[in-house]
Amino acid sequence: MLDFSLFRMVIFSISNARYTYVHDQKYSSEDVDIHHIVSRSGSAKYVFVYATALLVLACALYLYVLKETSISLVYYSLLFDIFIVKLLLGKPVKKESVVIMPAFGVQLETHYVSGKVIRCFVPIDKILKPVLVECVTPVTCYWTLSLIIRGESEMVLVFKKLRPPVKMLVHVWKALCAATGSKEETFTHAE
Amino acid sequence: MTGDSLKHRILMVSDFFYPNFGGVENHIYYLSQCLLKLGHKVVVVTHAYGSRSGVRYMTSGLKVYYVPWKPFVMQNTLPTIYGLLPIIRTILIRERITVVHGHQAFSTFCHEALMHARTMGYKVVFTDHSLYGFSDVGSIHMNKVLQFTLADVSQAICVSHTSKENTVLRSGLPPEKVFVVPNAVDTAIFKPAVDRPSRSEIVIVVISRLVYRKGVDLLVEVIPEVCRLHPNVRFIIGGDGPKRVRLEEMREKHSLQDRVEMLGAVQHVQVRYVLISGHIFLNSSLTEAFCIAILEAASCGLLTVSTRVGGVPEVLPDEMIVLAEPDPGDMVHAIQKAIAMLPKIDPQAMHNRMRELYNWHDVAKRTEIVYDRALKCSNQNLLERLSRYLFCGAWAGKLFCLVMIVGFLLWQLLELWQPADDIEEVPDFSLPRNCDEEMLEKKPLK
Repeated sequence: MLDFSLFRMVIFSISNARYTYVHDQKYSSEDVDIHHIVSRSGSAKYVFVYATALLVLACALYLYVLKETSISLVYYSLLFDIFIVKLLLGKPVKKESVVIMPAFGVQLETHYVSGKVIRCFVPIDKILKPVLVECVTPVTCYWTLSLIIRGESEMVLVFKKLRPPVKMLVHVWKALCAATGSKEETFTHAE
Repeated sequence: MTGDSLKHRILMVSDFFYPNFGGVENHIYYLSQCLLKLGHKVVVVTHAYGSRSGVRYMTSGLKVYYVPWKPFVMQNTLPTIYGLLPIIRTILIRERITVVHGHQAFSTFCHEALMHARTMGYKVVFTDHSLYGFSDVGSIHMNKVLQFTLADVSQAICVSHTSKENTVLRSGLPPEKVFVVPNAVDTAIFKPAVDRPSRSEIVIVVISRLVYRKGVDLLVEVIPEVCRLHPNVRFIIGGDGPKRVRLEEMREKHSLQDRVEMLGAVQHVQVRYVLISGHIFLNSSLTEAFCIAILEAASCGLLTVSTRVGGVPEVLPDEMIVLAEPDPGDMVHAIQKAIAMLPKIDPQAMHNRMRELYNWHDVAKRTEIVYDRALKCSNQNLLERLSRYLFCGAWAGKLFCLVMIVGFLLWQLLELWQPADDIEEVPDFSLPRNCDEEMLEKKPLK
C-alpha cells in the first residue's frame, strides 16, 4: 500500500463546522487524485459524554460513602460508564480518504485517531457506476456516495464512517465518474 | 395565466400509498401527477412496505419517501406521538415544503405528521375520504383524534357534500374551512368495449371487497331472487374478503353455479376487462363517502344500480344510475327497472359525459385553490393556537394542549441538537422529457 503523506499539492478545499474536504495531488502529476474528508468533530460531544459518566460515578461514590450502600454499586456504575463511552463515542475517526488511480483502481482509506488505518481497494473494472444515494432511517435522511460493483448485490460505501454534506460528496463523485468513464446523470434511480 | 399563480411545494402524507391499491392510494397518485403537470413540486411520504424502503421516484419525477417504520395493524404505523418528529422535520426542511397535505382519517402516520407540521408552523390541509360512525367505541376514539388534528388545520377537503357534513359533525370544524372536491376517474383507461356484449343474456357485474360494509349480506338475498325472476340474467362477482364464504354458500344452496361466476381477487389492471363484459354494475355498499367504483363502471358504459347511502346520490346523473334503499326487495325492484332501461343506454355517450364531468386535472386545479387559500391563513404562534385545542373537550382539551406543548419543546430541543442549517436542501432534479421512453427502449418487452 502506498503512503501519500509527502509532497502534497492542495487543489481545492471546502470546510464546514464538522468536516473539511481537501482535494490534492501527489507530485503535481495529474494521474493520481486524492480526496480527503477530515473530521473536525467538536469536543462538545466528548465533554458531554465524559461529564455524564463522571456524574454517574460521582453519584455512586456519594451513595457508597455517605449512605453506606455496597461497593458493588460503584463497580456497576463503572461498568455502565465504560459501556456508555464505548457506545456513544465508539472509535473516533480522524479522516477518510479516496485515492483515485485512473485505469488502475480506487483505494478507500479510513484513518482512526488511534493511528490505525483500514484500507480497501476496488479495481477500476469492477466499478459499474458511482452514485449519490439518499438513505432514509427511522429518524433522519442523509446522502451517501456509493459504488455499484459488477456482480455484487451490495454497494460499496466510499465514506464508511463519516457523513459529509452533499456539496463535498459531489466533487468526489464527479472525480470518480471521470475516472470510471460513467456519464454524469443528474438524478439517481432506485432499481 | 399560470405564470402569475404561486407554485407550491406539497408534501402528501398518508399510510396508504403504492404498492397498495385502493381509493385513497389512487387519489394521492393521480392528484400528485396532475399537480406535477401544473408545475408544482410534490413529494409523498409513507411507511415502508416490506423491503420497499428509502427514496423511490415514480412517473414524472414524483419522489416518494418510504420511511422505515413498521405498520402494525391494517396498514397503520405504530402511533408513538412524537416518534415521527425528527424524520418529518428533516424531510420538510430538505425539500423546502410549503404545504403539507394529509389523507384519510384512519391513518396514524397522517395525524402525527400533520401535528408535527403544525408545531413547526407549516400550513396544513387534510382530506377525509370516508364516512365514519359516531356511536361505537372505535369511532368515538377516532373522532377525538380527528378533532385534535382538525382543531388547527388550515383547510380541509371532503370528497362529497355528505362527507363534508359527516366530517364537520365529527370534528367540530367550522364548515367555512371545508372544501368539497370530488374524486375523479381516469377515463383514458376506463373505456367502453368496442363490441358490446350481446343482450340475449344480461350480465350484472359486482366488483368490491367482500366485507360487511360493502353490503355482501344484501347481495346474498338479492342474487337468488333476481335469478329466479329473470332466467336470462347472469352475475359476475369479482373481489375477495371474509364474506366470500357466504356468497359461495348461497351459490350452493340455490344451485346457481352456472349463473353466478366468482372471479376472486381482481387486479386493478384487470378491472376494466371485467367491467366491459357486463351490462349493469351493482353496488350494494352500506356506507360510502363517494364510491369511485361506480364512476369506473359509468366510464365503461355500464348502467349502475346502487344503494342510496352516503355520498352516492351526488356522484352520477339520474339517467346513469338507479338508486334503491339498502333493502333486498327494493334492490330487486331497482334491478328490474335497470334491465328495462338497458335498450336506451349508449355506452359511448355515457363515457363522453363522464369525461366532461370528472377528470383529475379539474380535481388538481380545485385542490390548488385550496392550497392558495391555506397559504393565506395567518401565522399564529403557539399560545394563540393552544386556545383552539381547549375547545375540544373538558379533559381532552387540556390533554391536547399538553401534547402540543411537549411537542413544541421537543422541536426546540431538536433545533438545538441538529440545527436547520445542517440539513441540506435537495436540489430539484428535472427529469429529461423522454427518460421513461429511453428506459423502455433499453429493456426489451417480453
